[in-house]
Amino acid sequence: MTAANNDHSPVMAAARDYPGGQASADTVRPTPTSAAGAAGRFLLWRGTDPLDIGIVIVVLAVIVTGALTTRFFSVANARAILASTSWVGITAIGATVVMIAGSAVSLAVSQTATVVAMIFLATQQFGLAAAIVLALLSGVAITALQGAVIGFWTANPIVLTIAAGFAIGGVATWISGGTTVYPQVVRFNGLNDTPLGLPLAVYILLALTAAAQWFLRRTTAGRHMYLIGENPRAARAAGVPVGRVTVIAWAIFGACIALTGVFLAAFNTSANAGLGGTLSLDAIAAVLAGGTAIGGGKGSALRTLGGALLISAISDLLLLRGFSTGIQLLVKGLLVGFVVIAVHVSSTRGRR
Amino acid sequence: MIRRPALPPETLIPAVVLAVVLIAFLCTPLISGKALTTFDVYNTFQGLAQLGLLTLGLGVTMIAGEFDLSVVGTYALGGMIAVRTGQSSAILGVVLAVAAGATIGAVQGGLIARLRIPSLPVTLATYIALLGLTSAMSGGLSVTYTNTGATLWIDRHFASIFSTPSLVTLAGFVIAAAIFGGTRLGRGVRAIGGDRRASRVAGVRVERTLVGLFTVSGTLAALGGALYSYSYAAANPNPGLQPLILAAVGCLVGGVSLAGGRGVPIGLLAGALSVALLGQIDAITAIPDYYTELLYAALLGVIVAVDAPGLRRGIDRLRARTATTRIQDRRP
Repeated sequence: MTAANNDHSPVMAAARDYPGGQASADTVRPTPTSAAGAAGRFLLWRGTDPLDIGIVIVVLAVIVTGALTTRFFSVANARAILASTSWVGITAIGATVVMIAGSAVSLAVSQTATVVAMIFLATQQFGLAAAIVLALLSGVAITALQGAVIGFWTANPIVLTIAAGFAIGGVATWISGGTTVYPQVVRFNGLNDTPLGLPLAVYILLALTAAAQWFLRRTTAGRHMYLIGENPRAARAAGVPVGRVTVIAWAIFGACIALTGVFLAAFNTSANAGLGGTLSLDAIAAVLAGGTAIGGGKGSALRTLGGALLISAISDLLLLRGFSTGIQLLVKGLLVGFVVIAVHVSSTRGRR
Repeated sequence: MIRRPALPPETLIPAVVLAVVLIAFLCTPLISGKALTTFDVYNTFQGLAQLGLLTLGLGVTMIAGEFDLSVVGTYALGGMIAVRTGQSSAILGVVLAVAAGATIGAVQGGLIARLRIPSLPVTLATYIALLGLTSAMSGGLSVTYTNTGATLWIDRHFASIFSTPSLVTLAGFVIAAAIFGGTRLGRGVRAIGGDRRASRVAGVRVERTLVGLFTVSGTLAALGGALYSYSYAAANPNPGLQPLILAAVGCLVGGVSLAGGRGVPIGLLAGALSVALLGQIDAITAIPDYYTELLYAALLGVIVAVDAPGLRRGIDRLRARTATTRIQDRRP
């Protein structure tokens, strides 16, 4: 897998917020012979992905509309966008790792985050550090267990995570008696701090993105994940421990979900069955909007951060311009669909 | 030594699940202390009407190896369109809802079939967009259906256990079963789900069939949503993921595999009926919700285990190993 970005234009180079490594089909391009091709070469757009063009158009549209909107380009609004990205973003980074490793998606995220939040609040009396460790451990254990079933038994991730969602939700209601969980003592106020005017979760998100990016690009397990996502059979034949690597991917996902759960708990100071909300789908939407392919083998943590930020920025822009939540959702869906199609077309060009 | 089960899983799973659930349903008087009435049966069929068409729509795409997540969005939109446009004429509302559902399905199917995109991300995007559209149409609030005449008409009892929505749902399954059993289409759909390339080589019109299937799933979901919101005299802009999850459970216990290539409409009916019966058992016995959740988890867990190729390989390997040791043991 080589770095295969042929940046012919400075605009494009600047627009690529992701470094190489994307196993793209744009390494080999038929030389354009038509007049349009010549014109394209003249414009230095030859060999550019439709995906990149699309992303540039969307980003430019946001910038232009933003410039025409009062208060969009302000420090306070930038903070608001970053803050609203942080919770979903943290989970989405974990979801990226799992999607790259070929396990597609999890539909049990909301329930897992809810349970972790409950555990975090119920263990406050042991101290903040202990509560965080317990929350992370439970998130990792619950999610890695699903990863083990998927990795070692090649179970279908969608069916399995639907089942896991029922099981986690059921057990949580059973133990909590279906009531809201309140902490005995509050030790988590520090998590709601805003150093330099940004919520702590934003720093965690940025650190996680950097860590995940490094992990996926520079470690053996990370490289194995791309291989498994690209072609599980080839990975198995090449001696990659598919089961173990899949479990690692899901364990990372579990830790990310748990972090989101901890921040949700600290922010809401109590947890009920509905706390997780639409986290499952929001996270998938962020990953897809970043251009990670659902089939696995392609994508990066940085792209997901970009996708999550783009969704937040567009929602924020629509909000500032007075559009309803419905319109914000509609545009988000259209954006995700657009990116999914563009990613697919650009990665299969030449193959079809 | 290859042992084949007596019945294929697409018959075995729904038959066993439906039998178990039916027995549980018949045993509910032991817990509730009240005898079952025809009204309980009527309510079961109402539950079937609520999820049946959604299950059928999702199921036919799953048989072809796709997964139409957008059905729950089309379901919500269908209900909203029907309520918004059908205040004076209920029929007009249903027609418009169904037309919208069919259009959405056809566009999605066209994209998925022509560009050969995996259906999950595309339909997820559509789902989000449709929820937004539904919410924008209603201002995010539930909309009441004021045409009480139509609501009463729709919930009339037929033969004391059926209503219009449940009869329409059953008719949908009967038509689907007839088409699947009586024409080449059924085999074609299963072939597409089993091995797309081979089915293309064998002459199945893959693209056209897929567009048709997504159109059908959109139509059925919108129809289901319209009937449901008429019956409840209100349209909910965001039904959540629950209807989709229950429809998926209905499909899976109906013998459909997410890998595709397996399943029949009658199995889907059995699956949807099982889910409806479980809901009714819940309502009659008033057992805590988490029992049902854990039961669903267990059911799906069994299906996951049945469908996991890695698990089967592991068992085969284990069996082969024990067989070899047995032979070695026999040697002097």
